[in-house]
Amino acid sequence: MAKTLRKTLAWVMFLTMLVTALPAFATEVATGPEANAARELVNIRFSQYANSVDDQEGMANDPIKKAIEQAVNITLEYDTGIEGYDDRLANELAVGIGPDLFPTWGEATKIRQYAEEEAVYDIAAIINAQPERYPILHKIINTDEYKMYNKMYTGDENKAYAIYSFSARAYPSFAGVPAYNTAILQEVNDGKVPATVDEFVEFTQKAVEAGYSGWWPYNGKLTNWAEIDNTIARPQGTSLRTPATYDWMWTGFVPDDESKIGTDEEHWTLMTVSDESKEVMKLLAEMYANDGIHNGVGTLVDEDDGYAAFNNQTLASYGYSYGYYTQFKKLYDSWMQAHPEDGSLADLTLGTALQNNEGQWLRVYDVPSYVGAHYFIPTSCAYPERVLDLVEFLASNEGQALLFRGIEGLTYTMDGDTVVYNLDEFVNINKSYGYPNPDRCRYMWFSYLFCASEMMLDLETNDWWTAVTAPYDNTLDWAEGEARECYLYAIDTVKAFVDNVYVQLPSYYGLATLDAEWGKVQTTLFEITNRYLSQMLGGQLDVETGWEQYRAEYEAAGGPALEEAVNEAIREARENFG
Amino acid sequence: MDKTVSYPKHPRKTMVQVLGFNFYDVFVIAFCVLFALICFYPMWYVLIASVTPYEEFVKGGALLWPNGGVDFQYYKMIFENSSFVNSLWISASKTVIGTFLSVLVTSTMAYAVSKEHVPGMKLLNVLTVFTMFFAGGLIPTYILYVNMGLLRTYWVMVLPYGLSITYFIIMRNYFSYSVSKELEDAARIDGCNDVRVFFQVILPLSKPMLAAVGLFIAVGFWNDYYSYMMYIATKPNLQPFAWVLRRVLTDSAMMSQMRTGAVDIGAQLPPPMALRMATIICAMVPIMCVYPFLQRHFAKGVLIGAVKE
Amino acid sequence: MPEYAGVVKAKGAVGGPQPSLAARFRTSVRKYWFIYLLAIPGLVFLLVFSYAPMYGVVLAFKDFKMNKGIMGSPWVGLAHYRELFSDPAFIQAFKNTVIINIYNLIFGFTFNVFLALMINEVQCKPLKSVVQTCVYLPYFLSWVIFAGLVQVFLQAPVPGDVGGVVNQVIMSLGGEPIDFMKRPDLFRGILVVTNIIKTAGYSTIIYLAAVASVDLSLYEAAAMDGANRRDMMFHITLPRIMPSVAVMFLLNISQLFLSNFDQVYNLYNNFVLSTGDVLSTYIYRISLGGGGEFEISTAANLLLNVMGLIALAFTNRFVKKMDVMGIF
Repeated sequence: MAKTLRKTLAWVMFLTMLVTALPAFATEVATGPEANAARELVNIRFSQYANSVDDQEGMANDPIKKAIEQAVNITLEYDTGIEGYDDRLANELAVGIGPDLFPTWGEATKIRQYAEEEAVYDIAAIINAQPERYPILHKIINTDEYKMYNKMYTGDENKAYAIYSFSARAYPSFAGVPAYNTAILQEVNDGKVPATVDEFVEFTQKAVEAGYSGWWPYNGKLTNWAEIDNTIARPQGTSLRTPATYDWMWTGFVPDDESKIGTDEEHWTLMTVSDESKEVMKLLAEMYANDGIHNGVGTLVDEDDGYAAFNNQTLASYGYSYGYYTQFKKLYDSWMQAHPEDGSLADLTLGTALQNNEGQWLRVYDVPSYVGAHYFIPTSCAYPERVLDLVEFLASNEGQALLFRGIEGLTYTMDGDTVVYNLDEFVNINKSYGYPNPDRCRYMWFSYLFCASEMMLDLETNDWWTAVTAPYDNTLDWAEGEARECYLYAIDTVKAFVDNVYVQLPSYYGLATLDAEWGKVQTTLFEITNRYLSQMLGGQLDVETGWEQYRAEYEAAGGPALEEAVNEAIREARENFG
Repeated sequence: MDKTVSYPKHPRKTMVQVLGFNFYDVFVIAFCVLFALICFYPMWYVLIASVTPYEEFVKGGALLWPNGGVDFQYYKMIFENSSFVNSLWISASKTVIGTFLSVLVTSTMAYAVSKEHVPGMKLLNVLTVFTMFFAGGLIPTYILYVNMGLLRTYWVMVLPYGLSITYFIIMRNYFSYSVSKELEDAARIDGCNDVRVFFQVILPLSKPMLAAVGLFIAVGFWNDYYSYMMYIATKPNLQPFAWVLRRVLTDSAMMSQMRTGAVDIGAQLPPPMALRMATIICAMVPIMCVYPFLQRHFAKGVLIGAVKE
Repeated sequence: MPEYAGVVKAKGAVGGPQPSLAARFRTSVRKYWFIYLLAIPGLVFLLVFSYAPMYGVVLAFKDFKMNKGIMGSPWVGLAHYRELFSDPAFIQAFKNTVIINIYNLIFGFTFNVFLALMINEVQCKPLKSVVQTCVYLPYFLSWVIFAGLVQVFLQAPVPGDVGGVVNQVIMSLGGEPIDFMKRPDLFRGILVVTNIIKTAGYSTIIYLAAVASVDLSLYEAAAMDGANRRDMMFHITLPRIMPSVAVMFLLNISQLFLSNFDQVYNLYNNFVLSTGDVLSTYIYRISLGGGGEFEISTAANLLLNVMGLIALAFTNRFVKKMDVMGIF
């Protein structure tokens, strides 16, 4: 009896396999629009943060959307949001109605959870089953580097639960470079740009004496100390910060010996509650008390009140990640909004990163390329193969050109080998999706599907790692007039000192992970640091008397243990991936 | 002189009245006017800011009067945007339908439950109040809406709010306490059955409270964006004005708080202050217009005699 | 004798032999069919939208797994509560929440009643309308914007800027400017006062509606007896709106452990965390708006609501003793 049953089952299984395998044999052309045309027409809901779908008419007439739909033989449904977006997606995923292709911010905890709870497909299994259908994706997921990430996330290098969207920039991006109001810089400092922390502090003092506030560092109501830290603390060899779960784990750490990085002897020290940090905090509190730091820091909104203070010329300097040129352009745009008649780029002076008195520069330790987003296909999706057809198309050079150059003859023309952009037409398309300003020249959907810094990749000819670590920034190709001037000014200014500042860590740093339980410790430490530093800055707590209490609480909550764990994680990463 | 609450002059004149003062009136008026001014000023500030161009706005100072000219460009912008106008319609229609439904369902149930002597009503009361404290949370609600076919439809912004527990309690309390029992009994003695008592005695008597609760419920529907945000989200032709407003006010701030520096999406400036302010004004005016109509009902006393006849 | 002697009859029946439940139900349905009919729509909504999804509260004691569903996910007992209570910041936020709510109850709630009485006493009808409309306005400014305005008005002077209206007034009266938003000792006061300004006018509507249903003949009779307006306010108006006051009070009590996220989140900052951090902002910060924190938020909500229910049950008893109707 049991034998017959087994036999029957075997037959059934064999037949099922045969039936499922048949269509695969029947497909002659495996890839490209012709192949897709023969496949089932499906609707794919694609989700991406922070676009707008308000303009239904514009969306219906969007030529790029039409081109993608035609090439893959699908209908596209765009899904987006800002407030409540993460919550909604989490719920939709939990009840099995998630979008067919959706992103997270690349959190290791989430991909692990999704994999463990079988919420998303293992795309490697699907791709490897039909390599001729997905040639580019097949190439991508079978690179050593991709497998390394697979291993880091789930322990199994052959299981890929997401499309890893890499983040890499053509120019480094960092905080700690103040921008000055040129007129005030002239008035109080004879136009001399402060080069050291002492000079900067002195400058803010002179500005205060002349009736201005000295400096506004971006701070998110004092929940983000990166700008303050990079400007004042880092050049002095210490750091006030502590890593939040979404920061690099070595945030707030300083290497004992920079030259040993990458070797067995590398070691990092957590500086958050050190005596050096205490001295820095005293300096900051003093600056804050006498308007060297704007009084609104910590209570007012950076991009409203901070910019307004800068724009109405009561503030001498502003700091907001101006180590990156598009960020400086924002300050410029805002300035021009406030001074439409008589404003010009010359009104702003982009400064330099600061040094201490021994000539020690601000040091920014960064992994220049890392995973910035994960794209998932939920297991509730009935046709993951079709979704991957879409991904495959977008990975091709044809797809990438569609996203970053648009339609030939409309958004760009070719002049020999040079691409000549028609920015207006591109803005016209993006306007429907909430981006009416001529400050980007790329399609606003799928823009960070493969490259989280939203740049064009050549995945067809290059191998994955080469492609994602060297994306092409087309900004200077399309930018014209004042915008171009502003970009060039910022790029050139930063270029003059960036080599002194920017330290590129070995890439295994990007693969170092802490166990999930450290998340809670990091969050607690982050809360403690925010609370104490804010109150010391604001004068509610005296630095001298409060510091010991701060240190005690910080250490009791796991500071020293975190230091050990981070060094251990880096060591492990070096041994596994180095 | 107020016709409805008319107090005859005090027969015995006090010293103060002889002197021509009435401290009581002066106090009442001074207090009310002062508080009204405090409440009015923020509104005025928003109104002024909505017509002030950014280059004037950054100059700051207390805004008492539009300086540097009045500029209606943002109002124009709002009304030229088709999705703004469409969302006003959505808000208006869901407010009207939702309020009608909710007032009907809530007040009839409240009346029924206020009849405590009817078997089962005490239990029903406890069951209803209980739900104020125990909600299932988002996931089961999602599942429910999916199963009912409500998800991503217009009705998800209306139906779930059909019964409002808070106003159920207020109405029930009102029916059992403030509506005169004697009148009800008198009507029954005159041969009215339950149906006639409800329609001819209770409803007319409850007009002030129905108007007030109706207003609260309407404002609730008008201001609700959560149901769109959570359960519809990507059907812009269904988005209510409250959601449009919310996005204008908070989106740029939330984008700049983006925790990953990897993605360049924060590279937009927040919308100009004046646009935000103009949107607020546009969101307020329609619901404000409802107020005077309803105010008539709850500002006027009920003439119980009129009902008696 | 009309049909409506139901109460007496029903009570009279208690002594006799008890009819079956079904029989009793049939009798009362026949007798009160209209009352039951009125309750049915509400009951349907209650069952569908409140009771059907209620099983979700078990998430407070579970570790939710997407592939197992709510009922299939493993139990974890009180693990989520242990996690919450292990953090001193949670305890602090809990304290702040309750203290702020008690302040709101003492000052805000009383002020609302007082304002309603005062508006009711304004004799000049146009003025009354204007006042009523003005006080009702701020309710329509969302907290995002209202909090922004509060900061503008309370702004301390900085170089090149004279500061907000309030500080200008203080300085013109010869006082020292106050940096309001950075003072932990003032923050709860700011929350209470801004809450009053924003919502008092709106809350008066319910009381004014209650006043409106007071029989005017009562005032006429009182006037005949020589009562002045203050007496009438205390002896006629106030007692008549007491049920509404009581029910609003009880509703407030039931919210004693819940906090107004929108208000606090938009007003607070790191300087005033010690007095201003409330549960909702705390939970928001530890989950950083990341989404998917189903269990923790369910657990926290369940706890706070159960405590609210207990507080309500206690107060309800007390209120009932004062001969005013309660919620139960």
